[in-house]
Amino acid sequence: MTARTDALPTQEMTINMGPQHPSTHGVLRVILTTDGEVVTRAVPDVGYLHRGLEKIGERVTYAQFMPFTDRLDYLAAMNCNCAWAWAVEKLAKIEVPERAEYLRVIVCELNRISSHLIAFGSYTADMGAFTPFLYAIRERERVNDLFEMICGNRLTYNYARVGGVSGDAPPGFLEKTKEFLDYFEPKLDEYNNLISYNKIFVHRLANVAVIPAEEAVAYGLTGPNLRGSGVPFDLRKDEPYSVYPKFDFKVCVGTGERGKLGDCFDRYMVRINEMRESVKIVRQAVAQIPDGPVLAKVPRVFKPPVGEVYFRSECPRGETGIYLISDGSVNPYRLKIRTGSFVTMNLFEKVTRGLMIADIVAVIGSFDIILPEIDR
Amino acid sequence: MEAAALSLMNAVPLLAGVPLWAVTLLLIVAAAAVILVFALTFEGVGSLVLRKVAGDIQARIGPNRVGPNGILQFLADGVKLVLKEDIIPANADRLLFKLAPYFVFVGSFAAFVVVPFGVGLIAADLNIGIYYVMAVTSLVVIGVLLAGWASNNKWALLGGMRAAAQIVSYEIPVGMALIPAVLIAGSLSLQDIVRSQGGLLGIFGWNLFHNPFTFFSFFLYFTAAQAETNQTPFDLPEAESELVSGYNVEYSGIRFGLFFLAEFGDMFIVAALATACFLGGWNVPFFHVGTLPWIWGNLLSLGVFLAKAFTMVLIMMWVRWTLPRLRVDQLMRMSWKYLVPLTFVNLLGVSLWLLVFKGKGIPGMIASLFG
Amino acid sequence: MGLKEYMNDIVEAVVTTAKGMRITARYGVDPKEEVTLQYPEERWEIPEGYRGFLHNDVKKCTACTMCVKVCPVDCISLESVRGADKKMVLASYDINIGRCMYCGLCVEVCPPKSLKHTSGYEMASAARGELILHFIAEDAAEIKARVARQVAEAAAKAAEAAKTAEAAKTADLSAVAAKPPVVEPKAAKEEEKKPE
Repeated sequence: MTARTDALPTQEMTINMGPQHPSTHGVLRVILTTDGEVVTRAVPDVGYLHRGLEKIGERVTYAQFMPFTDRLDYLAAMNCNCAWAWAVEKLAKIEVPERAEYLRVIVCELNRISSHLIAFGSYTADMGAFTPFLYAIRERERVNDLFEMICGNRLTYNYARVGGVSGDAPPGFLEKTKEFLDYFEPKLDEYNNLISYNKIFVHRLANVAVIPAEEAVAYGLTGPNLRGSGVPFDLRKDEPYSVYPKFDFKVCVGTGERGKLGDCFDRYMVRINEMRESVKIVRQAVAQIPDGPVLAKVPRVFKPPVGEVYFRSECPRGETGIYLISDGSVNPYRLKIRTGSFVTMNLFEKVTRGLMIADIVAVIGSFDIILPEIDR
Repeated sequence: MEAAALSLMNAVPLLAGVPLWAVTLLLIVAAAAVILVFALTFEGVGSLVLRKVAGDIQARIGPNRVGPNGILQFLADGVKLVLKEDIIPANADRLLFKLAPYFVFVGSFAAFVVVPFGVGLIAADLNIGIYYVMAVTSLVVIGVLLAGWASNNKWALLGGMRAAAQIVSYEIPVGMALIPAVLIAGSLSLQDIVRSQGGLLGIFGWNLFHNPFTFFSFFLYFTAAQAETNQTPFDLPEAESELVSGYNVEYSGIRFGLFFLAEFGDMFIVAALATACFLGGWNVPFFHVGTLPWIWGNLLSLGVFLAKAFTMVLIMMWVRWTLPRLRVDQLMRMSWKYLVPLTFVNLLGVSLWLLVFKGKGIPGMIASLFG
Repeated sequence: MGLKEYMNDIVEAVVTTAKGMRITARYGVDPKEEVTLQYPEERWEIPEGYRGFLHNDVKKCTACTMCVKVCPVDCISLESVRGADKKMVLASYDINIGRCMYCGLCVEVCPPKSLKHTSGYEMASAARGELILHFIAEDAAEIKARVARQVAEAAAKAAEAAKTAEAAKTADLSAVAAKPPVVEPKAAKEEEKKPE
């Protein structure tokens, strides 16, 4: 945009977008400075959902912190549960029964599907098409039914335990999971036909907020946002944990199929394709799952050895890293959580410069941020 | 109207002593009341149907709690809107804020006057019918702009500006896409346009099938008109996911209700114009309604017209629940780079066609081939 | 932009829109696709192990306070006194379900398995106080006073028994005759505890 200097003097307008705004995915506040519809500056103002999770972690025991990890990313609580369990197990060098690891992988990947479904659905709703959102919610309900079966809750699962999982899969769970996968896989093609390749949708997303690969790496993006820029980095492959090495799956990266590499459309498509890969992983896990116990013997008063640990795992919104220092007592001495959404917000101001107001919504949606992860 | 008043005075001996102007005024008020009732009913039922269609499409049920199967939902909504507190923001421009909803509503309602509901059912068969519709519906843009400005809210202002830019831009393709129908009928009067599509050709007498250019004209008109009435995918002035609710964000109670009613009114006007100009209006295929007694002919033609118009409304709803929304610059590009040139090409095509084939359409030519 | 591209754009827009509309139309006309559950009339099947409201079977409860200790949000409060038989007697057991986050940790640690999740999930209230579930209807102070009385009684009886035993010893009576007074208060205590 080039401004005419000889025209009437114009004034920039500061608009407050959020914290109550339908498209900021929670209580994100963006301070927009606009020139008409063109945004000259968009500064994210985070912190409205700060609960001090890291401090809470220092005063509760290792087992007690598990339900709080549900609140770290409520759309992918299983992944956060498991990340915490894996971190503590790494710290205390606990051997986890194999069946428990398989169950963890199954629920993590199912949760990845349900989280990406929300990302997809709310993104299309942000773009003005409300119908795909409800289709996505419908599919997510089925995943929630599965989770309700295995752990008893639909949103805050608290399923993983230090040393395993809280309970074995009830009879019929694996069959129902397979049933869901069979039902779900064709739906992805339907989504693509319905909205992904819709001309208007593509136009809204393509070439918007392009993040080149070097920049994405430099700013520390992870997860689908990084892969959307064409960097094939996936912790499940590059730093394998749990039983992930046993499964055959592809790392989805952006291809720039409808615009420049690293635009909103690439990030969107990475999520759609990742759901397909997650389906593949769950299929393999369900087929291979061994019998056996699901919880290792962990003393009731659990005191890990003195030491520190950093464990990172691939969550739907990027890398969730858990840094723990133990002083040998029942509580962690220090806990630091690194989340994908928070890091992504660093880049927000840079990529949104010169976009339109409607694009700000597109960028927020394509980053698939979630506020509890940003504010913790 | 005066002619109707005269014939009424002749028919009813009781009115013989009443001056002509009084009877005319009475007739005008009666006609306005009938149209208002129709418009309000349509707008109410339309909102219910919209929600039901949304429910069906989105794998839900839709409203089903008020009355049997939810059919009284619109009454409940209406009562709610009327009873709600009417809030005027502290720093709003009070006069303009109050005025805006009326502009919008009047703009949409006044267009009902020239809608040809039946063979004799038209409030005023103006000889500039289409022109009149284009003119009064432009009143809506003033109302929306006022609403956006007077609310003293930045989101509302953005919505108002968007609406102004959008409606002004799309006025041109809408007008250009309607001209083929005018050319074929040789009149701006909507009744004349409808009559020109009658005859023995049945549905092939419709302007839609007159020639390839009119066929495209219909779709161009439909697209552009959706934009002019702020329907998805062109609902940028409202854009609840960007501008929260756009120009009407500060409105509540019955003032919001007027915006809401106007939206559905516009929807019907678009559908009615499409029906009248391209889909044969109230013409019953292969049948001349004029041969029936006045009352039956009118009822039949009214039914046919409403059936066609409601089908168009349903299609608009179907589109609405399928497509995402355009961005402002894309919206402008679509108007100026796609719709405007295409409508001009179409207009040129139709004019040439009429010149070359002496006003005959393809179905007409085929019919004349077979005698 | 060439003419070919221009026409392609238009065709693509029309084709993709038509594709999308075909899908929405299919959902629109197929009543089988409706997934809404008419909630108050229809309910979904609650699976086994559903984590609903907590319920404590106070008869089984040993007042071990494991649940209180493990609760991350401190929503369980428990008062107990040591009874005459040296077992803990519950004086009050309250769960603030307005604060509970249904994590289920308390249920997992409960040694006598008296604390359970029910399948209940419906509770709305205008006052926060109503969200506190009291599992013991009797007033805590009353129970405490009663138990204290019993303990005192038992102690007195025990002292008396000891005295009589002493006296018996001194009176050269047999030890068997001295036993009943010691057992008696225990049985009486047990009976009294039941209605709680």
